Amino acid sequence: MNSKANSHIQVGVDTGGTFTDVICYRDGVPIGITKLPSTPSDPSKAILQALDYFKVESKISANEIKTFCHGTTVATNALIERKGGTVGIMSTAGFSDVLEIGRQMRQQLYEVSLSAQAPIFLAPKRRRKGIIERVSSNGSILVPLSEESVIGAAQELVDEGVETIAICFLFSFLNSTHELRAREVILSAFPDLNISISSDVDPNFREYERTVVTAFDAYVKPVVDHYLCRLDHELKNAGLGNEPKIMQSRGGMSAISIARQRPVRLFLSGPAAGVVGAAAVGKSVGENNLISVDIGGTSCDIALIKDSRPNLRNEGEIEKFPVRVNMVDVNTIGAGGGSLIWIDSGGGLRVGPDSAGANPGPACYGRGGINPTVTDASLVLGYIDPQYFADGRVKLEYDLAYKAINDYVAQPLKLSVERAAQGIHQVVNAQMAEGIRLVSIQRGLDPRKFTLLPLGGAGPLHATALAEELSITKIVVPRSPGVLSAMGLLAAPVEHESLFSIQKNITDLSSSFVLKVFEKLDEECSKLIKSEGVNLSGLEIQHIADVCYVGQSHYLAVPIFKDSKNMFKKLIEEFNDQHDQVYGHAANTSVKIINLRSIHRVNQNSNFVAKGGNKKNNLKLKEERLVFFLSANSPKQVKIFDRGQLSAGMQISGPAIIEQPDTTIVIENEWEAIVEKTQDIILNWRRI
Amino acid sequence: MEPILKKQIQSGKLKNIDSITIEVIRNKLDGIANEMQHALLRSAFSPIVKEGLDASASLFTVHGETLSQSISIPIHLGTLIPIVKKILELNPVSTMSEGDIFIMNDPYLGGTHLPDIAIIMPVFFDGHPLGLSAAMVHHQDVGGMTPGSVPTNATEIFQEGIRIPPLKFANAGNIDKNIVELLKLNVRLPDIFMGDINSQVAACNVGKRRLSELCMSYERTSLMEVFELLLDKSEMMTRNALSKIPPGQYQYTDFLDNDGVVLDEKIKISVNAIVKDGSVTFDFSQTSDQVKGPFNCVPSGSLSAACFAIRVVTGSDIPTNGGCFRPIKLKLPEGSIVNPKEPAPVNARTSTIKRISGCMVAAFREILPEKISADSASEMLILQFGGRRTNGQHFIVGELIASGSGASIDRDGVDVIETDASNCMNLPVEALELEAPIRVNRFCLRENSGGDGEYRGGLGVLREYEILEGEIKFTHRGERHFCAARGHNGGFEGAKAHSKIFRASGCTEVIPSKIVTDLEKGDKILIETAGGGGYGDPTDRPEQNILADIRDKKITSQVASDIYSYSYDSGKFSPDTLPKRNNKNFETEIGE
Repeated sequence: MNSKANSHIQVGVDTGGTFTDVICYRDGVPIGITKLPSTPSDPSKAILQALDYFKVESKISANEIKTFCHGTTVATNALIERKGGTVGIMSTAGFSDVLEIGRQMRQQLYEVSLSAQAPIFLAPKRRRKGIIERVSSNGSILVPLSEESVIGAAQELVDEGVETIAICFLFSFLNSTHELRAREVILSAFPDLNISISSDVDPNFREYERTVVTAFDAYVKPVVDHYLCRLDHELKNAGLGNEPKIMQSRGGMSAISIARQRPVRLFLSGPAAGVVGAAAVGKSVGENNLISVDIGGTSCDIALIKDSRPNLRNEGEIEKFPVRVNMVDVNTIGAGGGSLIWIDSGGGLRVGPDSAGANPGPACYGRGGINPTVTDASLVLGYIDPQYFADGRVKLEYDLAYKAINDYVAQPLKLSVERAAQGIHQVVNAQMAEGIRLVSIQRGLDPRKFTLLPLGGAGPLHATALAEELSITKIVVPRSPGVLSAMGLLAAPVEHESLFSIQKNITDLSSSFVLKVFEKLDEECSKLIKSEGVNLSGLEIQHIADVCYVGQSHYLAVPIFKDSKNMFKKLIEEFNDQHDQVYGHAANTSVKIINLRSIHRVNQNSNFVAKGGNKKNNLKLKEERLVFFLSANSPKQVKIFDRGQLSAGMQISGPAIIEQPDTTIVIENEWEAIVEKTQDIILNWRRI
Repeated sequence: MEPILKKQIQSGKLKNIDSITIEVIRNKLDGIANEMQHALLRSAFSPIVKEGLDASASLFTVHGETLSQSISIPIHLGTLIPIVKKILELNPVSTMSEGDIFIMNDPYLGGTHLPDIAIIMPVFFDGHPLGLSAAMVHHQDVGGMTPGSVPTNATEIFQEGIRIPPLKFANAGNIDKNIVELLKLNVRLPDIFMGDINSQVAACNVGKRRLSELCMSYERTSLMEVFELLLDKSEMMTRNALSKIPPGQYQYTDFLDNDGVVLDEKIKISVNAIVKDGSVTFDFSQTSDQVKGPFNCVPSGSLSAACFAIRVVTGSDIPTNGGCFRPIKLKLPEGSIVNPKEPAPVNARTSTIKRISGCMVAAFREILPEKISADSASEMLILQFGGRRTNGQHFIVGELIASGSGASIDRDGVDVIETDASNCMNLPVEALELEAPIRVNRFCLRENSGGDGEYRGGLGVLREYEILEGEIKFTHRGERHFCAARGHNGGFEGAKAHSKIFRASGCTEVIPSKIVTDLEKGDKILIETAGGGGYGDPTDRPEQNILADIRDKKITSQVASDIYSYSYDSGKFSPDTLPKRNNKNFETEIGE
């Protein structure tokens, strides 16, 4: 196959912990999908291998690739493994302990032997310096910056081995001159130091949260910078013409050169790609409001998609530390396939939160795990074919699963092994359903109005049971749940955002001032998006105000229409509506604008065409086997289908099972599956 | 909904309720309580609910036992129990009908303090009672002598706000407008007050709807059987855990600084925990008589503290419900601070509950050394600044400031952290300065304040305020000013708290733990919260930890040499010099 000269080649590479998923499109049509083992010591190795793969398999050389998009875990790993740079922090004199004091709340309510809750590991006191300077709460300068104190502190930090500095002065979000000048002063004396300043990273009030996010930025920068710089270089050497793009936590792409400057925005790079991928799949089958549920080994990640856009949050948690960056709103609950089953001292059957992990893993892995897990129950119930788990890469041992459930659950509870396995599923489903319900209602959304999109190896296995618990009547199972993140990379828009912190009552603001701010923000964003080298004809510009009632500490993102005559009036109306939806009431009190934000976005090719589709053939049974469904009293012979053999328009009624290399779809009684043109499967609940 | 199980019931499959059904139902009940709690937080107005999480929601059985509970702070454990009991005593379930709502707050009839108002709603299915849905919120203001209704200098409950006896707030769905009008006239912020009441009703409605929905999947009578089984199981688990504690009497005594009215008298809190046959009795016979000021604590407070202590001592995998409370007995002498007689004031009882829960946990330290730390300072300093700017604009800001936690058998205490019954966030300096004409000049850890030991207690914190304009009414409710957090096993006590006012006029006033006073431009306040107790002999502290403490300014080199017998300059221990006994009344001066 020869490549056409004018064809548009896009490559998405999502690096995960175990696999690097790669997808290649020509003019919106997938021409190659593969999974390669990740190379954690140098993730770029696997990426270069992927390029070689396409060269051989699809006859596409690197210089033909127009768009190269990448999702990376390098920032998250630097934090999890505590392998970031040696950080120094400069604060306003008298406030150098802000990082260590934190917000004084504890996570464990019923422990008396406590552990520190703030990320003190970033910089113990010896690497935190107070600088003589002070800006007041109206932005005026109370104490001028002592450059001497900056130089002195920098020298002391360098002597402590510091290679990267975070500067966070009080009220710098109102007046950044001291932070900017301090950076200049340090760089003139120590040009090799990396410096992150809080007025750049997160110009927003609350000094602890701002300090933490700035310090995290400084912490991961040396690692991320090194990695992205090398990747860019190696891809260029391999022949790639255009600058690669990186997925940011908020679900938009950014050029490597810009992403490198703000590495703290990359913590959720991988998960964001997954959620964007889920949104794209939903859109292609006409489902725009989705709850995606990714059930893996140790946990279950829940995300909401509204009007085909991932729900965002303005502050999240990474490793239980607050990170105030816009990110896709992914919520994790501690239940998954590897969750351990145990019997409490009152004879109750409990699932998790401890997990068997990958090693030893579930009992059926035969790696020495003796305690039963949810996966063992799935095997005993007949949901999983022991020969066909994870594409046959892991051979499961039925007898070990049976024994584990017998010894640890069935015997103590005096139940049959099958009933015990059924019970394990019922308990974990109840747990996950309550988790999903809470995540949705906390955002003011009714789960019944959403479509469930199950992901991960175990997602489609629990989907129909979860949907019933939640009164959800429709499920979309993507064709390739395993490479959804890689797809998401190519479906995501290129996106940049600029922010201006205001902190003023609406009554104290003039519309001309707001317009002037947006002019400046648009200019900044426009510069960034132009440097991306994308076609700007589809440019979308969004203006947002972060708004709250006076006295509130949380705010909502509200669109602001700057050409409207009644800009503020409309803004307040819109805010009241949103507040009512999310918090159940709206008040007639003063309203305050926290930030103004401008977002510039160019959509990439988002209308993917499904690959030709299989030839129309007849619905062929793969086999029949005994399966014990949750709705049944005894095991029954159930029809098993191979997803690879299904073609558009086919219908399958439950109870049935569809198998594919990366997952198993369990179709309960009362559910009906339809294969879409896109090869995605829609399950409908035919409630009796 | 779970049609599957319904089918099974119809087909006779679940004639006998098995342990799986019980666990599935338990997960749902927990989920319902969480959803109720969320509805409460979502629609409440008061900042103390939204920021301090001072609210809770529960489901109760028809017999008035907790079925499931969502809590954000342990102080709410068990707090609704006496209220629901009272409501049921006056209104047996058989007399209730669908759509009834009950309301009450009176501490002397089962409440806690007046700002905590409870809303209770019966749940029916097909006309048969199924349970009760209840929600409690700390209201911003319920009237009384000061805005916020928590005056530290109250001497009678009548000064603390409006008392609401158990009343039927709604009759078969119709809210009693007379009660609404009466309440609205007695509080300072009637709209916010009613907003919060409505959020409680909304939360109860969530509980009511979802509990009755369970009857679509399970037969009502089997469901009620499961409720009883769940309680029995938690009771059994708690008894099993308690029977692992060697039977005996475990005793601990600590003190509150004063009662806010009589400032020079410490208040004794003494707990004797009697463990026997899988039950525990907390005997308060040795505890102080009731006090003039508002630190009296009605029985629901000691019950919450006991529930917290049991959870700490027995481990946390026991599902929380009324069964856990069955093995607990309380001996609360009438007329004592833990069972005061009307009309003693009670609004500041949080400090008392914190000290009671500290004592209860400490009582078990000797037999559970690996679990229980040295004393935490357990000081939650409450500051209130209220007044007017020169332009006449009103402002009120409150601060909750924590102290150091106690060191344990294997680790140092944590600096400034919330412990025991409460768990509140501090106020960012930038938030405070944007809200009020006050500047914070310093906010840092308090060097040398942790109790020394092989493991060092957590440090307290130092915060310095300057008044920029206007007139300010200032309330300071401290603890640990006069009695330190004790160390354990050779560990030293933590530093005491200190607070001072440096008047613009030049004179300095020491705050005797509690004060209500006026401030004006130029006045400065310096607060230093207490440190946690140390664990083990300081001379056993490893050299690298002492060095790190000096380098990270947790201790001075002076303390290193005086107490840890370690010379920073020579890098040597001098084992011959005996460590000086705690002598750490370092006081910071303004602007240091």
